[in-house]
Amino acid sequence: MVYSTVVLFSAGWLWQCTVNDKPLPIFGERVFDGVDTIYHTVAPFALLDQDSTLISNADVKGKIYVADFFFTSCRTICPKMKVQMKRVYDAVGEMDDVVILSHTIDPDYDDVDRLKKFADRIGIKSVKWHFLTGNKDSIFNLAQTSYYATAMEDAAEPDGYIHSGAFLLVDRQGRLRGKYDGTLPEETDRLIGDIKKLGLLEE
Amino acid sequence: MKIILSVKFIALILFFAACSSGDPKHAQYLVQGERLYGQHCSNCHQADGKGFGSLYPPLAGSDFLAGRKSEVICLIRNGIDSALVVNGIVYDQPMPGNEKLTDLEIAEIVTYVYGKWGGDKLITEIAEVSRATRACNLN
Repeated sequence: MVYSTVVLFSAGWLWQCTVNDKPLPIFGERVFDGVDTIYHTVAPFALLDQDSTLISNADVKGKIYVADFFFTSCRTICPKMKVQMKRVYDAVGEMDDVVILSHTIDPDYDDVDRLKKFADRIGIKSVKWHFLTGNKDSIFNLAQTSYYATAMEDAAEPDGYIHSGAFLLVDRQGRLRGKYDGTLPEETDRLIGDIKKLGLLEE
Repeated sequence: MKIILSVKFIALILFFAACSSGDPKHAQYLVQGERLYGQHCSNCHQADGKGFGSLYPPLAGSDFLAGRKSEVICLIRNGIDSALVVNGIVYDQPMPGNEKLTDLEIAEIVTYVYGKWGGDKLITEIAEVSRATRACNLN
């Protein structure tokens, strides 16, 4: 009797764990205007991708996307991040409304041609995974204020930049819904789970 | 945790010692080499040595290892800015040099890499690294 109660109890507990439909948090400041709550969203941006296509907020409107910050000549954490982001790319291949935006923080060196070559060498399609370049200050500003990700020049660093290895999950309304360490496979697994959850549970 | 780690470490040493006809120095080179590989090489070439796309070349199954140890030693020390061909694919992403690695550390990495992926079960001695690195600057 006691035994079966324990089994039932654990089964219920396990069930709760596997079917976790708790909504993802919404990051950043929020304001209540008397009628609605207004959340922090990604600020307007317009950057060129590896095909010289101008990508702006309009292109990701109504889509779920993952953002990160890197540069092609980076030898420290970026290669790890790109290996993990390729796993995300492979995992969301069938989800048409999910895209990836990788922003270079060294746009003077990482021009469109260099990003094109880099993307081709990873072996990805540009409609799904955009490598973005543009004005350096705009990109730094976007990183810091829209995505709460660190990106700045620092002569003390081996490659001349300090930047976070974060992957940022953005929902269909441009709101930040998750932050993950993009150098770690287990954190990337969590991101992939959260993308699928957003895709299934929220319009 | 510490105990488990040290047991693993001893097991590794024993394993490598068994493989390398009981030479403790060779076993130590393999263990240190694996650790240094993890720190300095695996970000790009991956822990399993398979590389990444056609961005970073593989070491596992690579035709660049056999008979080219001196070149590999120079690559580790000085890096490369020009293209190189591995298994018929051109790779041209620059590889940074590792000027801070000592000849001993490079010997350990090369012993590990060649032991694991180069089909070479012999130790790479410090003297061999020193000879090779002196020669790379002459070419």
